[in-house]
Amino acid sequence: MAGIERVGADAWRDRVARGNVAGLHAAIGPDGTPEVRAVLAGETPRLLAVAAPGGVVPTLVDLLPAGWDEREAADLYGLRFEGHDPHRALVHHPDDRDLWATPVVGSDVHTVPVGPVHAGVIESGHFLFHVVGERVLHVDARLFHKHRGLERHAEGRSPEDAGRVLSRVCAGCAVTNAVAYAAATEDALGRVPGEGTRRVRTLLIELERMWNHLNDVSQICAGVGLAPGTMLFATLKERVQRVCALLTGHRFMFDAVTLASAPGDPGDAAREAMRAELAAVAADAATAARGLLFDTSLRDRTSGPGRIDADAVRELGVVGPAARAAGVAADSRTDAPRLWYPGFAAVVPPTPAGDVAARLEARWVELEQAAGIVGELLSAPLRPDAPADTGTGTGHGVGIAESPRGRTVCTVEIRGGTVRRVHLRTGSYANWPAVAVAGTRAILPDFPLVNKSFELCYACVDR
Amino acid sequence: MLTRLARVRRAVGLERRPPASCAIRLVDAGSCNGCEHELVATGGPHHDLQRYGFAITASPRHADVLLVSGPVTTRMLPALLRAYAAMPEPRLVAALGDCPLGGGVDAHPDEVAGPLERVLPVDIRIPGCPPTPGQIAEGLRVGLAALPPERRPW
Ligand code: SF4
Repeated sequence: MAGIERVGADAWRDRVARGNVAGLHAAIGPDGTPEVRAVLAGETPRLLAVAAPGGVVPTLVDLLPAGWDEREAADLYGLRFEGHDPHRALVHHPDDRDLWATPVVGSDVHTVPVGPVHAGVIESGHFLFHVVGERVLHVDARLFHKHRGLERHAEGRSPEDAGRVLSRVCAGCAVTNAVAYAAATEDALGRVPGEGTRRVRTLLIELERMWNHLNDVSQICAGVGLAPGTMLFATLKERVQRVCALLTGHRFMFDAVTLASAPGDPGDAAREAMRAELAAVAADAATAARGLLFDTSLRDRTSGPGRIDADAVRELGVVGPAARAAGVAADSRTDAPRLWYPGFAAVVPPTPAGDVAARLEARWVELEQAAGIVGELLSAPLRPDAPADTGTGTGHGVGIAESPRGRTVCTVEIRGGTVRRVHLRTGSYANWPAVAVAGTRAILPDFPLVNKSFELCYACVDR
Repeated sequence: MLTRLARVRRAVGLERRPPASCAIRLVDAGSCNGCEHELVATGGPHHDLQRYGFAITASPRHADVLLVSGPVTTRMLPALLRAYAAMPEPRLVAALGDCPLGGGVDAHPDEVAGPLERVLPVDIRIPGCPPTPGQIAEGLRVGLAALPPERRPW
């Protein structure tokens, strides 16, 4: 069970500065006072909390990349973070631009507002570009157009019902989010899943990574107008999704991981056929990737733009392939006692320059790695634990899983069998601020490509 | 790379249909992105939506059909209505997936203005969470064919 330690306002900043913080969120404390909670990652994740009497609490933005966390907490819980001024709305959408965007002034500066409806088939979100000519000076990302109040709607329900509400947060991370939520809930209730369940959950997370990474390569090709690459990787994604459907009954593996269950064994012959098909997809992807490597028009467009180097990764709190593409070998799979990653080591791409090309290369090396894990896990029968009743426990729990976009952290507070607070901080949430920064290191026409090289979810962030 | 792609397309061997002409504009009104993934796949080599004469257009000003995914969040409602207002007449509205039909996601009632038919007239319904690429292609084709001839875009 993840302990929660409440500290005074004077010790708060000091304690947080010394911890390995994986996100902040607001909640209502046991005596009805609002509080801010920090997740401290590590072998056994813990929570550190500070009360916000009168809704005021010291800011942490000068110590760690918590700008969005604080803006969200301010919007949803009415908190004020002393020292984080001015507060700019994140979840809420005030009409007045000064209330949510950064003023950029100077001669010839003008703004280019884009979205929320975009030209392609992509999710809704708004970007305000401040530019001089084609040079981008600053980007304000205004997301949360898709805010569905899912956390708030899940709270007050049983862990099973809350899980059902959260199951539709995001299709691209459906499995990772479900695993992180299940792990957090089990942690809160003091349970540890057996090896069989851990293996099945790991298998599904890695399958999810395979189709996502294939999708992302396809999208990067689309971003430079390289139609054969777009279509070829789309066919590979389709092949993986067909295996997902065979294994779990759903192309995005919706509802495959719940508190009570995980898919069972499809039988030796079917499992072997899936294993062979996925190995063939990985081989085809490697061949196609070599083709892309020597495509000069692709190289020309991807080398250079949107650079986020190792220093920026640390400063901005970047996670996942985007961090590894800058040479930072951080990966929550290296320390995942609730999953099944024996001997796992993070991989960085051969040229970790932190640009679009490096993030593309990161997908290839991680694809190969994921295919290896999937192949191994499909070589033995799948034997998830027998379904168990979650009961009526009380406690705090933290669940961490590595999504295709990076570390996803789920925090759950259960009291008397009811979910009181649930918070999901996905890899996309951690990385969105970096997309805006990467955008300022590109020209405006390159922004769509830079954005696609991160390929973050809006749905995961907006919730 | 091109030859590999050609091989995929030959292997799939989709049947061709008589040409129609229909431009579609998608508005994501709060989806989980599942419906968008499947719509993109519908335009990919395995399903090739274009063979029926459908095209995804970049602007609602060129669109015959407004295809809407998601439960219609309050924050997407103004943009959705602006996209609809920008379309030339005659125009059609299609609901993509269970969310705009009132199912799909179980969202907080304060945050949604949907289901879609509360805010726009819905002509075509494509259920599923998400509908598969085959169901999307079929839903659009059959849904349009079922309309009276004067309401069809061709
Ligand atoms: S219908 Fe299902 S797949 Fe489509 S957006 Fe809604 S929840 Fe996602």
